Amino acid sequence: MTKQQSDLFKQGTLELLILRLLSSGTLNGWDIMQRIQLISGEVLTVTPGALYPALHRLEARGLISAVWRQSDNNRKAKFYGLTVRGRKQLDTQRKQWEQFSDAIALVLRDA
Amino acid sequence: MNLSDLLRRWRALTHKSEMDQELDDELRFHLERDIEENIKHGMTPEDARYAALKSFGGVEQSKEESRSARGVGLIENMLRDVTYSSRVLLKNYAFTLVVLLTLALGIGANTAIFSFANGIMLRPLPYPRSDRLVVLDETALKRGVNSMSVSYPNFLDWREQNKSFEDIGAYFDSSRFALTGAGEPVEIRGARITYNIFDILRVAPQLGRTFTADEDRPDEDAVVILGYDLWQRNFGGNPNIIGQKITLSNRARTVVGVMPRGFRFPEIAELWIPLALTPQLFTRTDHGLNSIARLRDGVSLAEAQAEMNTIAARIEQQNPVTNEGLGVGVMGLHDNLAGDYHDGLLILLGVVGCVLLVACVNVANLMLARASARQKEFALRAALGASRWRIIRQLLFESLLLAVAGGALGFLLSLWALRVLIKAIPFQLPFWMNFNLDLRVLGFTVGITVLTGLIFGAVPALQTSRVDLNDTLKEGGRGSGTVRARARSLLVVTEIAMSMILLVGAGLMIQSFLRLRRVNIGVDPKNVLTASVSLPPAKYKENEPRIAFYKQLLERVRSLPGVESASATATLPLGGGGWGRSVTVEGFPVLPVGQAPVIQHTVVTPDYFRTMGITLLAGRDFNDADAKGSPDVTIIDERLAREYWPNESPIGKRIRFGPPEDNEPWHTIIGVVGTVRHQRVEADTRKSVYLPYQKMPVNGLALVARTSSNPKDFVAAIRREVAQLDPDLPVSRVNTMEDVVSEAIWQPRLYATLFGVFAGGALILALIGIYGVMAFLVQTRTHEIGVRMALGASARDVFKLIVGRGMKLTLVGIVIGVGGAIALTRLMHGLLFNTSATDPLTFVLISVLLSLAAFLACYLPARRAAKVDPLIALRYE
Repeated sequence: MTKQQSDLFKQGTLELLILRLLSSGTLNGWDIMQRIQLISGEVLTVTPGALYPALHRLEARGLISAVWRQSDNNRKAKFYGLTVRGRKQLDTQRKQWEQFSDAIALVLRDA
Repeated sequence: MNLSDLLRRWRALTHKSEMDQELDDELRFHLERDIEENIKHGMTPEDARYAALKSFGGVEQSKEESRSARGVGLIENMLRDVTYSSRVLLKNYAFTLVVLLTLALGIGANTAIFSFANGIMLRPLPYPRSDRLVVLDETALKRGVNSMSVSYPNFLDWREQNKSFEDIGAYFDSSRFALTGAGEPVEIRGARITYNIFDILRVAPQLGRTFTADEDRPDEDAVVILGYDLWQRNFGGNPNIIGQKITLSNRARTVVGVMPRGFRFPEIAELWIPLALTPQLFTRTDHGLNSIARLRDGVSLAEAQAEMNTIAARIEQQNPVTNEGLGVGVMGLHDNLAGDYHDGLLILLGVVGCVLLVACVNVANLMLARASARQKEFALRAALGASRWRIIRQLLFESLLLAVAGGALGFLLSLWALRVLIKAIPFQLPFWMNFNLDLRVLGFTVGITVLTGLIFGAVPALQTSRVDLNDTLKEGGRGSGTVRARARSLLVVTEIAMSMILLVGAGLMIQSFLRLRRVNIGVDPKNVLTASVSLPPAKYKENEPRIAFYKQLLERVRSLPGVESASATATLPLGGGGWGRSVTVEGFPVLPVGQAPVIQHTVVTPDYFRTMGITLLAGRDFNDADAKGSPDVTIIDERLAREYWPNESPIGKRIRFGPPEDNEPWHTIIGVVGTVRHQRVEADTRKSVYLPYQKMPVNGLALVARTSSNPKDFVAAIRREVAQLDPDLPVSRVNTMEDVVSEAIWQPRLYATLFGVFAGGALILALIGIYGVMAFLVQTRTHEIGVRMALGASARDVFKLIVGRGMKLTLVGIVIGVGGAIALTRLMHGLLFNTSATDPLTFVLISVLLSLAAFLACYLPARRAAKVDPLIALRYE
């Protein structure tokens, strides 16, 4: 539970990305991984070793919930979706992130 | 943590395998999806699988992280830590054994000493609300007397005038009664008490009643209350005992009550009779009573003391002659009883605390050493995704597990140690000392056990968990030796410093005790047997039969083969008795009672000084002619002689005893003898005078006989002689004079022994510690040593390097220890006899001794280092 500072930052970013992806529908782990890579234009890659613990942490905190159901290839997969709390969390975190990146951009441009 | 969170954690714990299964399923889905995709992109199934697995990374790591994300951590991990820890510990049984023994000794010693202190100082006395009971005594602070016994009229005034106490009672210390007519004649210890004592103690009799105020008067006092044990032992627990008459010291008394089992007051009384005094029988100048009172609710000790000061001043004003300078002291009963032990016990607690600390340090050291060997294990676990906290926790668990096991062992050990301690008390245990196990002791043991585990666990846990994965795995388990070595060096310095303090303390204590043992108490105790024979006043009412009895008895004892001489005294040196009276010397100013010196009176039969080995410095001994009708004579001791007649012979001078207004007859000094320490081995107390028995035929004497062989062989013969003269007389307190002297210094002996044992234990632990560190150093630096030797260093240089390092630690430890000892041994000041708390010789000797011992502990590893073959060492990697 106590992780190093750099981990926390990375963790937070990954969690924000997951929440954002899930805000438009339920997805399984593999889908989430593909989409992060796809949307970020292969800039961001996530390993399963980081993704699944992040999913389980979010689930444990009640920000996302999961159900087992058929996937498109007819196998049972675990699908995650946002809870109400998760949606709220996404809003606040997104705002924080935007403020943060705006601030960074401002500094980088003007300084 | 909310409810659903709790539920989830609960499910995680109870459905662990189910959830693990779920996790497996989820990850398998992911893998298969990857493989599928790879095949779609044209890979062979085998390649696809390989590629997927490769990109997947550490499956186990993601599992471990996912599990900890599930939040089962706490409980599940705890269970796993415990099983894992015990498995690790069992596998390293040699290590575990050493640690357990060290801890058991540390915790055991602490629990034992704490139980001892608890039984004496902390447990409440066995009376209801015993914290409200106080002891009152008289003081004469102007004369430097801060406690003396009470006179009856003063007691009556206190009782009448005070508002602080529910009631005040008075009693004589236990005296001896001959119980006859119920089987063999036996001597029973009993006490004369005012009628209200039982009410003050708030203890009701089991049978019958307590005394009435009317019975507390001369001639109406033919009643007695029995103690439970006496009732059971000598009267078969007869339920109809109330109203029956029994014969005590030849006087018939009616039994009116039986006290409940376990009731004791004072110290050793098994029966009680009324005090039955009057101010005429026992005047203001007769001091000899003890007094006990119960504070009213809401009245503090200080308030009571303040009121008693006022009352004492009033009494002094009304009775200026008898009460000049007399005050009253109020003290808690428990403090009064346990006060003698207070300082010694506190210091002992400090000492065992130090020992435990040394034990902790040593165990921490061992743990650190082992942790280095286990570094690879931790690195591996960290690589598998275990968090730092998780590793710390596991190490702490191991420590706690060790501590708990060590604590349990230590507890058992303490039960045994406590028994040994209690045996060191040479007299029958005072009733109020209760060493049975109680919650306080259990709590203490549990407390120090947990604390111990945390202390010795914390250092290695924090040290070890700070692993650098890459370094460690690369280094092949050799570990970052330097950091750890520094931590261990620190521990060794601590150990040496603590041992130094303890050894100095022990050295001082032992020196003090040896000096105490060598003290010349003025008698030669070797081959002297003592035995008390008291004559019941009812049967031996007149003086003549008493004188005749002892004369006959002594003649019979003297004629026993092997007895060189025999005599008798009313107060045996160091026997715990004493009789003080004020003295007036002819030709010197007459002082009122409050200011006149008080002098020890000893009544003896002829030949006493020769028998006891007391030197007759001038004049003559008493003889049979010093009897009724002959001039009053006395023998004084050297100190009295020197005080009044420093430049002339005191022979022929006259002194008299008691308050001046009593006009007692003058006694002519016929002899001067060497000083005898009657009360305490440590110091001269009162100056002494001796009076011939025939002039003052008291009814109890202690026989003393000097024998040519082991005095204990004469016990039976002496009993036989007494029985032949009077079969109803009990013989008691049979002891050799050597034992009497040795028992008088049992406390210093106990402290010196314990100090010695504990300091020795700490020293051994410290030596093990320094040996371990040096051995570790040699082991981790074998390579370096090899290089040095290959570059031309001689075996001698290497030896010097290692020993030098060890001795540096030792010297730092000793310097810190000397500082600590100077600060701490000062606290021992009150326990030391003729020994300065900063005795330089002790400090120097102990430092040298400790350095030598440490040198030996470094010697073995250093020799091993010096024997290193550079070729092998370099290849050793």
